Amino acid sequence: MTEITRRLALSLAALPLAAPPLLGQSLTKMRVSVIPVLDVAPLHAAIREGYFAAEGLEIDTSTTTGGATGLPGLVAGQFRATFSNAVSILLGVREGLDFRFISGASRGTMTPPDILAVLAKKGSGIRSGKDLEGKRIASNTRNNIVWLRGMAWVEKTGGDWNKVTTVEVPFPQMADALAGGRVDAAILSEPFVAGALATHGDTLERIGWPISETAPGGTNAQYVGMKEDLDANGEIFDRFGRALHRGVDWVNARLTDPALLELIAGFSRVPVERLRQVALPAYPKGVTPAELDELLASMKHFGMTGSYPAPASLIFRSAAV
Amino acid sequence: MRFSARPSSGLVLVAGLLVLWEVSARLDWMHTPNWPPLTHVLAALLRDTLTGEIPLLVGGTLWRMAAGLAAGGVVGVAVGMVFAALPLTARLFGPTVELIRPIPIPAVIPPLVLFLGLDNTMKVTVVALTVFFPVLTNTMQGVGAVEADTLAMGRTFGIGPLRRALHITLPAVLPYILAGFRVSLALALVVTVVAEMIAGEQGVGHYLVMMQFAGRAPEMYATVVVLAVLGYLLNRAFLMMERRVIHWWFALGRQHDE
Repeated sequence: MTEITRRLALSLAALPLAAPPLLGQSLTKMRVSVIPVLDVAPLHAAIREGYFAAEGLEIDTSTTTGGATGLPGLVAGQFRATFSNAVSILLGVREGLDFRFISGASRGTMTPPDILAVLAKKGSGIRSGKDLEGKRIASNTRNNIVWLRGMAWVEKTGGDWNKVTTVEVPFPQMADALAGGRVDAAILSEPFVAGALATHGDTLERIGWPISETAPGGTNAQYVGMKEDLDANGEIFDRFGRALHRGVDWVNARLTDPALLELIAGFSRVPVERLRQVALPAYPKGVTPAELDELLASMKHFGMTGSYPAPASLIFRSAAV
Repeated sequence: MRFSARPSSGLVLVAGLLVLWEVSARLDWMHTPNWPPLTHVLAALLRDTLTGEIPLLVGGTLWRMAAGLAAGGVVGVAVGMVFAALPLTARLFGPTVELIRPIPIPAVIPPLVLFLGLDNTMKVTVVALTVFFPVLTNTMQGVGAVEADTLAMGRTFGIGPLRRALHITLPAVLPYILAGFRVSLALALVVTVVAEMIAGEQGVGHYLVMMQFAGRAPEMYATVVVLAVLGYLLNRAFLMMERRVIHWWFALGRQHDE
């Protein structure tokens, strides 16, 4: 009996010695939560072009359309990295969750077309935020980047955002809700803007560009990891960042190339012919304290008050590029 | 199962509704491209069936549903039998069960993700939870309805409590258990798809939401059609199985009627 136990103990002790060479050959698996939107094109490009494999990483994307499980799943350790919008990330940080930015994902462009647009019904007379006072505007969620940019647009165009009622409507249903008169305006993101104008072009029109009219080039979405994981395994995230940023280069070199649209159609399942009408975001590699400062000022202005840590302390070295 | 073309057949109404679908979409009564004609939906269904995508997704969904159904069902029957046999356990655990039972399962999926992840473990657990309660309730109801004479006869013949439970009570309760399973079957399919819609990247539910977000209405409705047909076929298959397993019970019922 003791003999068996001793032998077992010895062989167990020898396991870690045998393990490193094996691990060296296989890829480190990383599960990343994403949303099927244009912003994650660089990640898919880097997977397809083998940039992650070259860094010894195997990326398993988990696509959630609502995004409701992305950040909670990161906290619970289901994911090593999560793609999310900047407002939701910072609200999590405010609540004490240790999110750290590991890479930029998307920003608005400096000039139209934006990745966000405000649509209204043709002939409704609604042209500005002022016209929307006392009326209803659709946003996919309250207190996220889409809503924040939409409210900033309402204010910029002369309206009092407190007098505009936000109605939560999922993106796919927005065009129908607007055309059916259930809301008076809607804040849509691409590719739903292009979709709505393609299918309801005779009844709907674009009345505003929420990013370029209020914060040209403003931040939109990022990839985050957990501080604890980054402290312990920072080197893995360095490799993740390098591979992802090669994907960003791949995408930025093909902004007018059909190859990019085919890549996006592949993971989002949006038909290529619709993607031809879509406005693309800017694809940054890093996250800057300045863009987070701008966003935090806007968040506080629109009711998301509270104390936030200094933005510089939230940026991991892989995003400081 | 024979399809008849008599006007009184329920199929006439189904066919009528399908024609209404096609006509309303073709004439754009809803003023939206998100209501595609049935023919477009069927074409999309055929396309993604031939690529093998839909059969694979349906297989995955059915597997998760079956695993949850089996796990939740077996536990439901076992707990139901114990509750009925030992009233003390029912007094101890009954209130807990009654408190958990009315919770809408989709509401607890996000917190369950924290403990069980996004994949099969979480989805099978969610389905098992859904199936557990109807099976439990029906099992307890069934045990209560076992005729005292039957049990007394078992005792007279000197059959022990465990064998009595397995060979007398369980067969007598079987019709009730199966009725519980039949209710659970429909719920299980719904809950599997809902869980797939909320989390993870698996099955028919995920495909449905993906297509909705990609603005591909025909593919989305194709999934709805698949689910309707699947639910119908599952129920038919279950009824046929039920007739075989407890044919004696149906025979008994007919006797009483006469």
